[in-house]
Amino acid sequence: MAETFNFRLITPTGVLFDGAVEQVTAVGPLGEFGVLPMHTNFITSLAPGVITLRLGDASFNEFLLAGGLAEVKDGVMTALAVEAEAPGAVDRARAAVEATTAEHRLAAMSMFDPEYEEAEQALRLARARAQIEQLRRAPR
Amino acid sequence: MATLKAIRRRIASVKTTQQTTRAMKLVAASRLRRAQEALLNARPYHEALKRVSDSLLASAPAALGAPEGARRALMLVVVTSDRGLCGGYNANLTRLAEETMRKARADGLEVKLFAIGRKGAEHFKRAKTPLDGERINNLPRLATVGLARDVASRMLHDFRTGAVAEAGVIYAAFHSALSQRPTYEKLLPVAPPPADSAARGADYLVEPSAAELIPAVLRSYVEAAIFHALLEGEASEHGARMTAMDSATNNAVDMIARLTLEMNRARQAQITRELMDIVGGAEALRG
Repeated sequence: MAETFNFRLITPTGVLFDGAVEQVTAVGPLGEFGVLPMHTNFITSLAPGVITLRLGDASFNEFLLAGGLAEVKDGVMTALAVEAEAPGAVDRARAAVEATTAEHRLAAMSMFDPEYEEAEQALRLARARAQIEQLRRAPR
Repeated sequence: MATLKAIRRRIASVKTTQQTTRAMKLVAASRLRRAQEALLNARPYHEALKRVSDSLLASAPAALGAPEGARRALMLVVVTSDRGLCGGYNANLTRLAEETMRKARADGLEVKLFAIGRKGAEHFKRAKTPLDGERINNLPRLATVGLARDVASRMLHDFRTGAVAEAGVIYAAFHSALSQRPTYEKLLPVAPPPADSAARGADYLVEPSAAELIPAVLRSYVEAAIFHALLEGEASEHGARMTAMDSATNNAVDMIARLTLEMNRARQAQITRELMDIVGGAEALRG
């Protein structure tokens, strides 16, 4: 059995996952990154997307995150998500509509609008929801 | 003394009131339990976020201040309930809000009021205090991540563009079903973390960079703080309502007991009066 480390996924409404994992793959501002045991202390933000956990028994667990923060401290990883849901619970049809609305909104906005960043995040989240099947990495 | 019929009608009406207040108390009790659970569930997030933001914000205190030339204004978010019948809950909150506004004005700050909850919004409208914004009818749940994010983004937007130099929230901190304390919490500008925790910030690898991460952290921090205020407010509201409805039910019980006594007296008096009449009539006939 491979080495594991402790991982916690926390949202404002509760702790969604707390246990030993072999590897965590998530999407940060610079692209996808993976965390293995013995990772150095680390802080980054999370972009909307899928976070994949490889558990000790070689099974996988996935969550869709609406963005947040991730921290590795003394070998323990904590992901703070604004919102998280199981991929199975995602309504793809609605997400597609949301993505289109968000695209239009963003297109009509100036880059310097204070809400630009927020609109961009909303678009990324809607896109992640709409393409959830492609984003899932765990073998099924 | 009221007539027998009037007293009976009173008793019936008090009984209905009692049934209503008792039902409301039970509903409030179960909602309170749920709200308390939610409050508990939010704690790990709050604590972890505080740890992360402390270590990160300590490294760049300059990024936290209001932009230069920001208006001397305070954005004050007041969390009240949408529904009444919860004792002095809303009155206590609006009183603290008005006190805070007075103090801020004395400091030369202009106050921009933002009301969450119908009771607060109505109070300020009655008092002819201009509202900068309101969110009412947050039913069935007050504390939702969506509402917190909505208010937080408004707050951050105003802060970043320099429309306000300070922002804070007023809510009732939940201690127990019997005690809820109105509290003012200053959110922006963020107070730099104490010096002893500053050293910890150094041993992190931060990606992409602290300066780029701080807006995201700040956003999460404000969102979490407002969400927390909403959760506390929700639990406090149900606690206050439970207590208020409990004492209302007790009052109704007392009142029914008093009215029943009065009713029996009235009935007895009537019987006595009728007997006197009969005896008097018989005496007169015999005479």
